[in-house]
Amino acid sequence: MTGDQPLACARVRILLEAYADGYLAEDDPTLASAVRRHLAGCADCRRQHEQAISIPFRLRALSSPRPPESLIHGVMRSITPSRVRDRRAWTLLLPEAILSTFILWYLSGLDGLTSIASGIFGDLLGLAGWGSGAGPLPTVPRVDVVLLVALIALTAIAGYHLSILIRLTPGPLTGRRTARE
Amino acid sequence: MHAEATLDASLMSGVSSSQALVAAQLVRQATGGDLDAFEELLRRLQRRVYGFAYQHLRDVDEAHDLAQEIFVKLYRNLGRYDPERPFEPWFWKLAANTTINYRRKRVPVPAELSDETVDEAKTPRPHDPVLVQALAQLDPAYRLPILLHYYADLSLEQVGHSLNLSVPAIKSRLHRARAQLRNALAEAEEGSR
Repeated sequence: MTGDQPLACARVRILLEAYADGYLAEDDPTLASAVRRHLAGCADCRRQHEQAISIPFRLRALSSPRPPESLIHGVMRSITPSRVRDRRAWTLLLPEAILSTFILWYLSGLDGLTSIASGIFGDLLGLAGWGSGAGPLPTVPRVDVVLLVALIALTAIAGYHLSILIRLTPGPLTGRRTARE
Repeated sequence: MHAEATLDASLMSGVSSSQALVAAQLVRQATGGDLDAFEELLRRLQRRVYGFAYQHLRDVDEAHDLAQEIFVKLYRNLGRYDPERPFEPWFWKLAANTTINYRRKRVPVPAELSDETVDEAKTPRPHDPVLVQALAQLDPAYRLPILLHYYADLSLEQVGHSLNLSVPAIKSRLHRARAQLRNALAEAEEGSR
């Protein structure tokens, strides 16, 4: 029986934490009594028991440096721009939709599309000729200019929109350790 | 109301129930998108979180990076928090997972204390260097529950929830970890005689 035979030091030391926390007394009172008897007669194990009791207190008393001010600033900086970019990404859809609608309406029909394409090609040839000195500056119908501007604006907005969407993809935080490396 | 009743004093150890109610309010507002409430919540958590990260990694820059990752992850996952359940266990589970992932992807920084290598401006000399040294030598799987229970002051149930382990498993791990610490302290004492 555990209660009769004295415990070896090696066995007691395995049980010290459970004994110190009171769990051993709850789970196996007989074994707890045997540990208590052993501790009464063994100075080495008693010293270990004192260590076992002190460790939780010493752990709770561990000191740490104060968190730096930059910690919270860094977190807020990381999360806030994404909210602004989110809103911007959605609101850019409106001008893109308006420009696309206008362009589609203008280009409605294959005849319209063909005539615009040939008109633009002709305008570009005339511009190239004027640039090389071969011909006068061609007169470009005002409506074609509007279409050209609309196309350029749509391309620019879509490009900017795409860059925002790419930047929205979460990347690694820029930490102090990576900066140090 | 359940969250208010169960947002226990461990969020701000020993603080009155009225302040615990304020904390529950902050969590609710932050979950609703209030950035000011979220920032205030961080201010209340930062001491424990940063301290936990520091004790785990023993490097101020790494502790800063880990604490920052934990808080950013908190922000990104606030939508998944159920206000009917206590905030503390949910948060520390997120913190524990972030810590485990952080260690996996980072090159480990030697945690041993050395008079030649310690930069005291960055890593202040601890007041219990023997214990700190012993803690640094513990396997992270043991160090994490030790710090969650004794340093972050979580209950055994909360630690178990954070690490997806049962309470008996957590008890066993804590006892084994403390036995290792005790042996290391005893060896250090023998060496100093």
